[in-house]
Amino acid sequence: MKTFDISVILPIKSALAKNFDEFFQNAVSSVLNQKRQIKELVIVHTAEENLVKKLNTFDFSGVTVNLLEYNGEPNFCSQVNYGVENCNSEWFSILEFDDEYSPIWFDNVEKYMGHYNDVDIFLPIVIDIDTKGSFAGFTNEATFASSFTTEIGILDNEILHSYQNFQIAGMVMKKDKFVELGKFKPTMKLTFGYEFFLRMTYHSLRIMTIPKFGYKHLNMREGGIFWNYKNGNHVMSENEVRFWIETAKKEYYFVEDREIKYEVQMD
Amino acid sequence: MENELVLKLEKSIEQIKNKNARIYFFVQETKGNAKASIRYIYDFALALYKDKYNVIMLTEKSDFTPIDTWLSGEYSQIPHQPIEGGTLAIAPEDLFFLPEIFGFVMEQIKNLPCAKIVIAQGYDYILETLQPGASWSDFGFLKCITTSEVMKTKVMKTMRNVSFDIIEPLISETFTEQVLPPKPIISVHTREQRDGINLIKEFYLRFPQYRWITFRDLRGVSEKDFAQSIKESFLSVWIDPTSSWGSFPLESMKVGVPVIGLTPFLKHEWMTEENGIWIENPMNLTDIIADFVLNWLEDNITPKLIESGKESTQEFSNRENFDNKVKTLINDIFEVRINNFEEQLNRLKETN
Repeated sequence: MKTFDISVILPIKSALAKNFDEFFQNAVSSVLNQKRQIKELVIVHTAEENLVKKLNTFDFSGVTVNLLEYNGEPNFCSQVNYGVENCNSEWFSILEFDDEYSPIWFDNVEKYMGHYNDVDIFLPIVIDIDTKGSFAGFTNEATFASSFTTEIGILDNEILHSYQNFQIAGMVMKKDKFVELGKFKPTMKLTFGYEFFLRMTYHSLRIMTIPKFGYKHLNMREGGIFWNYKNGNHVMSENEVRFWIETAKKEYYFVEDREIKYEVQMD
Repeated sequence: MENELVLKLEKSIEQIKNKNARIYFFVQETKGNAKASIRYIYDFALALYKDKYNVIMLTEKSDFTPIDTWLSGEYSQIPHQPIEGGTLAIAPEDLFFLPEIFGFVMEQIKNLPCAKIVIAQGYDYILETLQPGASWSDFGFLKCITTSEVMKTKVMKTMRNVSFDIIEPLISETFTEQVLPPKPIISVHTREQRDGINLIKEFYLRFPQYRWITFRDLRGVSEKDFAQSIKESFLSVWIDPTSSWGSFPLESMKVGVPVIGLTPFLKHEWMTEENGIWIENPMNLTDIIADFVLNWLEDNITPKLIESGKESTQEFSNRENFDNKVKTLINDIFEVRINNFEEQLNRLKETN
């Protein structure tokens, strides 16, 4: 099997999540089931004892694994940034532990790379499923909608100003561009992905969606980032959500992650 | 008087031998839109024009939309001549080709002294403009060029006393193989425009999750744009129940785009179980398209479908073969004409 010069970054905060073992097993299997062998699986984990134990005893045979312990304040953005900085490939992709790649994904990425060598980021068609496993919708498909694309399949800055729902999980991106243009910004809260795409397109990166099912994403898992914003300890009001969207539209001009705080506006 | 007739016959024979006999092709106004049946006639004419025959494209009116608005290449170099406001020079040695759709013209030209030949590409047009009971042979059209064996069999039953020859259409060089991976675009070609519109509306209503899949109704575009659209597509959908050949599915197959098509009333010889998805019931069409979309998005389309499609188009993609068939046919027709003229000539000489 041909090896594909790509590192899969898998950030994990805790193994205490409901059904963690099943999710994690499926996520890793989806990497092993690819038609192209990846260079390495980079798992960026916290020091949580239970998690470390599970990772050290898990059977990763079939893939080269790089276990990286992250000792800062754990959050998705920082852990991914850390993983990308320390990975050993030209390209990287992000896998969440409760998600799965489709078996055809990297095969298609490699095929499209052969035809489009000017593309910096490849997005999959993401199949979103709910917690019951039922189909909830697609993401990234909007780049093909004739109503707002100027070039079919290409995500540009203009589209992003009228539609925010694009997914960073599953994407395949050049490592050097990611690092050069500021990585993810943890400060941006739930709109970090949106701000990221705005920033990348502002810097003229070419982002293409491959019209193939590449990634299965579990929506609103209990304890997940977005679930927490809606149901967890830090519930976001509609005003705050709006604030972060508007902030993303202002912050993407800056490569560095600037400190921003939301303050409740009093009428 | 008899000497004059002898001279005329000798001149006719000489005109044929020197390739000066005129070969007229009556063509329809396309208003700049690509039309496979017209391209067939132009391919036919071009084969002869390149071989130095005296080919003339006859148009109804003088403000005929130039062919190069949709068909690029050497076609526009063939001389064109309008019938309107002019006189048509016709001699016994000339050939006059008329598409079947112009049945009403047959009556008007029945007394022309030349050989008259019908080009039949659509069986549903054959009787459309003929009076009930009228047949081609009534107007001196005793030969027909058609596109396939099934067409020949079908038309022969209606038009008696007519001899038939088959020249399969050529798939243009414009339709080259897909190089880039296709986009989520479905090319649609339907005989009736409303069939295409209804198909698209039904598909989006029944499968709203696929609203981002683009349908392109390939109507009113140049051949170049037509080919480009097919090349960008991952699927072609074809609805033409009265099709007599099937240029659109064959062009798609040559490019490497799988076809879902409604089996026409006349099932064509080139249609096999392997080279396309041919369905009998139009009620199932959107379900089958949705199944195909899902399978394509999951990379589950068998390469055999595409390969088999390409193989099926090979025999119709060779211009040299096409040109040779046309030239052989015309040579045969002229040979028969020369023989007839020589027989007449001999009889006249014997009488003298």
